[in-house]
Amino acid sequence: MNSSIVISQSDGRPMYLQIMEQIREKVAVGEWAPGEEIPSIRMMAVAIRVSVITVKRAYLELEREGVIVTQQGKGSFVATDPGLAPRLFDREFNEHIEQAVRIGTLLGLSSQEMALRLRDTASQISENQVRDEDLAKETL
Amino acid sequence: MTDLAVQFAGVTKKYPHFALTDIDLELSTGGIMGFVGANGAGKSTTIRILMGLVHQDCGTVDVLGHAMPMQQAVAKRDVGFVSEDMRLYGPLTLAWHMNFVRSIYPGWDQRYAEDLLRRFDLKVEQKIKGLSHGQRVKAALLLALARRPRLLVLDEPTTGLDPVARREVLSELMAVLADEERTIFFSSQNTLDVEQISDQITFIDRGRIIESANKESFLDRWRRMRLMLPPNAVLPRLPGIVEVGGSARLPVLTVSRFEPAMVAACQDAGVAVQAVDAMTLEEIFIVNVQNRREREVA
Amino acid sequence: MNTFIVTRLILKDWYLNRPLFVAALFTGLLTLGAVSAAKGTQIAVILGVIVLATILIGMGAVIMSSMVNERRQQTLPFVMSLPVSYLEYTTSKLAGSLLIFFVLWLALLSGMIATILVTPWFPHGLIPFIVIMAVEILVTTSLIAAVSVTTESQGWTIGVTQVGGLALNAVGFSIARMPSIGHTMSGPTIQWSSASIFILLAEFMLIALMIGIAFYVQSRKRDFV
Repeated sequence: MNSSIVISQSDGRPMYLQIMEQIREKVAVGEWAPGEEIPSIRMMAVAIRVSVITVKRAYLELEREGVIVTQQGKGSFVATDPGLAPRLFDREFNEHIEQAVRIGTLLGLSSQEMALRLRDTASQISENQVRDEDLAKETL
Repeated sequence: MTDLAVQFAGVTKKYPHFALTDIDLELSTGGIMGFVGANGAGKSTTIRILMGLVHQDCGTVDVLGHAMPMQQAVAKRDVGFVSEDMRLYGPLTLAWHMNFVRSIYPGWDQRYAEDLLRRFDLKVEQKIKGLSHGQRVKAALLLALARRPRLLVLDEPTTGLDPVARREVLSELMAVLADEERTIFFSSQNTLDVEQISDQITFIDRGRIIESANKESFLDRWRRMRLMLPPNAVLPRLPGIVEVGGSARLPVLTVSRFEPAMVAACQDAGVAVQAVDAMTLEEIFIVNVQNRREREVA
Repeated sequence: MNTFIVTRLILKDWYLNRPLFVAALFTGLLTLGAVSAAKGTQIAVILGVIVLATILIGMGAVIMSSMVNERRQQTLPFVMSLPVSYLEYTTSKLAGSLLIFFVLWLALLSGMIATILVTPWFPHGLIPFIVIMAVEILVTTSLIAAVSVTTESQGWTIGVTQVGGLALNAVGFSIARMPSIGHTMSGPTIQWSSASIFILLAEFMLIALMIGIAFYVQSRKRDFV
């Protein structure tokens, strides 16, 4: 199992959060299957050149979220919950909404204004997608 | 219970123009401690005392269970030491040095040594005096690593190395820790490296330990809070404010004991919290040292 | 005392300094040859011996300096990172340098004695004097070694060497003037008087004392690197 997690030093977030996010993504897209064994904390630390204590923190938090399971003496595994992947994406979606709302509040937007902006952005993005697809078809 | 690979208790050493005072340090087996401090803060002296090369005036030092400096000969059987001011024998080759060290340490791993030769891009037949600084550092590291010591003590192992060499060295250091019975103690000016690979961080300034803590909780405690004060409001009284920067209306507080409750406290006082930023080890280091210097002058 | 590590360190020093040792031996033998070839009066012989002795001391100083070069060349941290105590390090330096010097010394002393025994114009009575002077050289060299190891200073080593050389001259002349020794020097037989035995014993004790003091001073050091 090749650990392809990459820690960015220019990413402002703490390393353990980066690790957690990338592990969640691996599980969400199925790269790490439910029940599959994942690198031990030490193996992961060595592979990505990050301190054991940071990896340990990431693993502990992930365990608390139910994403992975660590068995003393046996190793760490992806949780066997089948509904895990959609739940993870769902969780990420909620986190981003929370962040947007916090910033909107600082800007002084009301909840209606924020909802409106959300809808506008959603339609804008889907319009762009359709236009990009048309462009791609034309050039073929 | 993990035993301690390194333990300093109340260590003091006085020189005419400098003193190490009351040094307490603990490093558990299997961990890696990053030792940070300005030049002249006492890092090298501390490391020399750790290796038994300098005798402390008072206090106890235990390395792998052996009292230093009395039992240094025994302790050093399991220790690999590389310091920035260390030189190998110029007229002799790397091969000679490898054979020399191999003849002394039964734990020498020849396959690992050859592996390191390749990865560090070193030629055995080359004389030491013909090596560049970076190559010499890597050669000394190879000699220390290949005997698979239980404890690695490194004084500025990446100083003066180019980015590629630095990364190689860090990879090798981390690989050492794959074995949870092995421990690393290293000092470095490179706060990025220390921040990334250390389990524990120890700060030293002017001969005193300022902080010695678990890296994650340490980094968690330090925050820069960017506030917006309404016209007649007063800065909220928060514990552990180390520095106040920014302007009167837009102050930036550096706090060393951050709690989420502080944000609520600010908002209750009518002060808007624009952002709560984490700080890099470098920023914490600078604030810490500057703050102490200013307080000394005051 | 871990004799294994001490041996390894001595061998390391010998290997590192081998060109120097060869040069020292060569110079010594050359000087011996020159002195042996000179014929002449008793004074000339004594002067020749003192020249040989001074050169020998000079060689000794050079050997000592090279052996304690670790601090100057900054290789001391490397050596002290090995499983060795101060005591063992000091032993390796003193033993290593004195052993090499002893080989040189023995070669030259044997050469000198052989020359005296073989050449007709050298009276055999000279031999006790030669031996006393030779051991005196060992005393001086032990002093140089002790100073070298404890001070690790080129300056001090050179200073002591010069003092040692002068002292040797003084000792040489005063011993030659002692009746029990001086009178028998030009004689055809080897005669050991009680005075000469006593002097020899005193010299050996001095050597032991120098080395003992060197170890004591080293053991009191608190900053080794």
